[in-house]
Order: sequence, then structure tokens, then C-alpha cells
Amino acid sequence: MINPQDAHVKPLPMPDADSQTFWKGINQGELLLQHCQACGHVQYYQQAICRACSSERLEHRAASGRGKVHSFSVVHRAPGPAFKQDTPYAVILVELEEGPRMISSFAGADPSLVGFDMAVELVCEPAGGGMALPRFRAA
Amino acid sequence: MPTFRSSSSSSSRQTLRGQTAIIGAGLSAVGRVPGKSALALAADAADKALADAGIGKHEVDGVLSSAAFASPFHRFSVAFSEYLGIQPTFSNTLQVSGATAATMFNIAAAAIAGGLSETVLVVGGDSLLTGLSPDLALRSMTESRDQQYEMPFGIPVANTFAMTAHRHMKEFGTTSEQLAKVAVIHREHARRTPGAQMTSPLTVDDVLNSGMVTTPYHKLDCSLISDGGAAFIVTSAERAKALGIAKPVYILGGGECYTHEHIFLMPSLTTTGAVQSSAKAYAMAGCGPKDIDVAGVYDCFTGTVIMMLEDLGFCAKGEGGSFVDDGQMTYGGAIPCNTHGGLLSFAHSGMPGSLFHFYEVINQLRGRCGERQVAGAELGLVHSLGAGFATNATTILGTEATL
Repeated sequence: MINPQDAHVKPLPMPDADSQTFWKGINQGELLLQHCQACGHVQYYQQAICRACSSERLEHRAASGRGKVHSFSVVHRAPGPAFKQDTPYAVILVELEEGPRMISSFAGADPSLVGFDMAVELVCEPAGGGMALPRFRAA
Repeated sequence: MPTFRSSSSSSSRQTLRGQTAIIGAGLSAVGRVPGKSALALAADAADKALADAGIGKHEVDGVLSSAAFASPFHRFSVAFSEYLGIQPTFSNTLQVSGATAATMFNIAAAAIAGGLSETVLVVGGDSLLTGLSPDLALRSMTESRDQQYEMPFGIPVANTFAMTAHRHMKEFGTTSEQLAKVAVIHREHARRTPGAQMTSPLTVDDVLNSGMVTTPYHKLDCSLISDGGAAFIVTSAERAKALGIAKPVYILGGGECYTHEHIFLMPSLTTTGAVQSSAKAYAMAGCGPKDIDVAGVYDCFTGTVIMMLEDLGFCAKGEGGSFVDDGQMTYGGAIPCNTHGGLLSFAHSGMPGSLFHFYEVINQLRGRCGERQVAGAELGLVHSLGAGFATNATTILGTEATL
């Protein structure tokens, strides 16, 4: 069963053993990607092994923060009461300069500005609870 | 029962083709069904499926179910067995989101062919419309997105699918009107289906003017939120024969594919794991998309249908929009799909939703669809999917003539 109270609170990331370094980086304004020392694969998000070759030799490197919008969808009806006051807002699928894609949201005021292949850059924004979120604005 | 050979070569391995048959199907009331718990809806459907098969509940020795959002039971199949008053010796509660329905049939067939069970009750029920508030029903579905890398950005369940459709529009020129046409065709089908949730006439303009949910999806591009359950009796082909079942529907092939969990790791936003899951099912069944007479295609959103018509091989990649526009997914077209009205207009009670596609395709193959009947339907396909195309499962069904 779902607890009705939960629907009114925005979910914040809860770092786990795999992801603590990542969220620490975001809180310091850096988007850390994992670079595999064995095969060169670059991955988002953080985990204990390389998804390409299973090596554990993964190195964190800060991404440039530059990317482009691979796809997007402007939300007019929020997924529950917690996001109602934010609509309309654009959820974006960003393709980072380094290759990996990630889900984020557009940090600009007007979501109708978002388009395919639009250049965007990282902005780490406080989200409450001592956490920041990696969002993107027009580059 | 099959004889298992000692050889490990796949060429000599027996597949599921034709080894099991569906001998009974049952459907609860669907749509707005207040005052019925998820278990009650499932039990109602199960009673009808047992009566349809002409067997008693104690002849069932296996139970497979989907999970239910509006039920407190984590082990829904176990709670359901207690509720129905049976003690099966094979059971599981499956959870691969919307794809669960087809996996239940595939796994039931494998369990029977492998000797784990003789007669499996496949069942699902949920009350998303009256058992949960609308906000909580939506939230319960978005909960299935990742809490760290997706949910904090306010991503509704519709959003992952919307981003795939949006990209499809950019890459192939698919239009909002073509998406809307999918909803219109489903409504036309539902208008001829007794008990369907939505039966008022619908036009392309109605869809385009229904208000935006998440671009490019308007309200009427999105499937319903419903109550309802469905159940099926699956047994061995031998037992179906011994029981004297008039028109058993055989499970001819099954396939699944899981390409990602997070939407940002989906290999391509416009080509899905349905390509692989259906290829496996076609290979096992020994047929191809051109041979299929009637299909149930998961229709959580209009664009989902267009992409699936392509990935299941009914038309070429990128041509799904014009295929729909040309009337190819309805009567008289290449592949009549979702003749009951689908999740868009018949009912969508969460994971049981795709069981309604099975109910329709099975009844099409049994010639029981009245004015909705697709003439001469012998070979059917149902494709279930979920979680932003993370999960895909296909089942191919056929009459005795297709064995």
C-alpha cells in the first residue's frame, strides 16, 4: 500500500553504497562520470563494475557539463501533488559530451524554449535536505 | 508430456510450441467497479475462467499472478490462493511491469511442459480507479522509476514513453494527428465491446483538444485508469484433449527482452526490445508477422502502438504513423489490433491490463467475438511491455489448425 502522505513530498535521491561519491560531487558542483581503466568505457550512473567489461577499475572524472537534448517532454500534469506547483516543466534526456545520457530537468524559466539537439550546460541546484540535483540550462 | 533428450544442443531441444493450451478465460467487470478489492476482482475472473473451462478449483495445481498496487499483499498469488481456497504446488507473483501478462503465459507454458505443474491459473486483478485516489494511482506507477536518477526530476510514468514518441516524431515525421488516430481507432473498437469503460464517439480533434499531459501526449493519448481482473486456465495439450475442450487455444511461442532499467540507458529511443522478444516468439511458433491474423498490442499510449507495429514487424521502421492512418491496424487492414478497445478505451487496471488483450485475442481465436469477430482468425499475437520499454514480452497463440 502507498502511504498518502508520501505523495506530497518530492523524492530526493538517497545515496547508496554505489552512488555516494556521485552525489557528493553534485553537491560540490561536479558531475562525476566513471571511466573504466580496463576498456575505456565511460558510464553514468555510478556502480561497482563497468557495464561493458565488468572491471572494477573505475575512475571518477568530472564531466565537462556540456551536452545536448536528445529528447524531452514538457510536463503539464504532474506525477502527483509534490510536483504540481512546478508545471509546466521540461524533463530532458541529455546526451553528455562524453557520451552517456542522463535524465534531468531544464533549469530555465520557460520550458517551451527546449528543443531537440539544443546545447545545454550543467547547473547543480540545491534541492533541500542537504542535496543538490544536476539540472541543465541553455548553453 | 515431452521427453527430454540428453543432448544439450539447442537444435534438439524441445520448445513450448503447441505443448500447452488455454482452456478457459474469465473477465471481471472492468472500468469503475467500486466496492471490490483487487483480490475480489481476481477471484471473480477466476471463477468465470474455471466455469469456462468446465473444471473445479481443486483441479488447479499452479497459480501465477501479477502484483497489485491496491492490495497490501506482496505475495499476491499466495494471498489469492488462500482467498480462493486452494493450495497450489506451483505459484509465483511476477513483476516486470506491463510486460508481466505475457510472461505469465510463457512461464505457465514452461512450468507445465517442464512438469512443475499440470494446470496453471493465470490471474491478475487491481483496483486502480476506486481502490486508490487518482494522485496515488499515478504516484504508485511513477514509484517504479528510479529514486536516485529519475524520480527527483519529476518524471511521470507517461514521460518516459512521451520522450520515445517525441523522438519518433523527430526522426520519422510521425504527427500528433497520427498519434490521435490510434486513440480514435481504439475507441471505435471499444464502442462494440460490451462492458468497455469508454464508449462515447471520439475524433482526432477531440484528442488534440483534450489538454496536454506531457508533450507530445494529450490526455486522450494516454490510457485509462481502471478497476478489473482477468484469469485464464492453462494446461497441457494432452489434458485439454482429455477434458474434451471444444476450442483450445495453443501457446505456440514466447519471447522476452529486457534492454535497460533506466530510460537514459535505453539503447535507442525509437527501436525497442520488442524486436528481440517478438523474433524469439516468431521463431518458436514457426511463423512471421505476415501470418498473424489478430493482435493485442500494449497501448499504454498512442505512440507506443505506432512503435510496436514497427518493432513487431507489421510495418517498416518509421512507417507506423502512416500504417495507422491507412487503417491497417483495424478491420480490413493488415493486422486488426486491440479489437476490444485496448488500454486506451476498454480498461487499464495496471498489470492486469494486458491480460485483457489476451482475453480478446483468445476469444477471437475461439470465434466468440460476435460483431467484433475477425473472420478466419487462427493465429494471434499478444505483446506486453512496460516501464518505458524496459520490459517486453510476446506470446503467440493459435487454434488447433495452426499446430
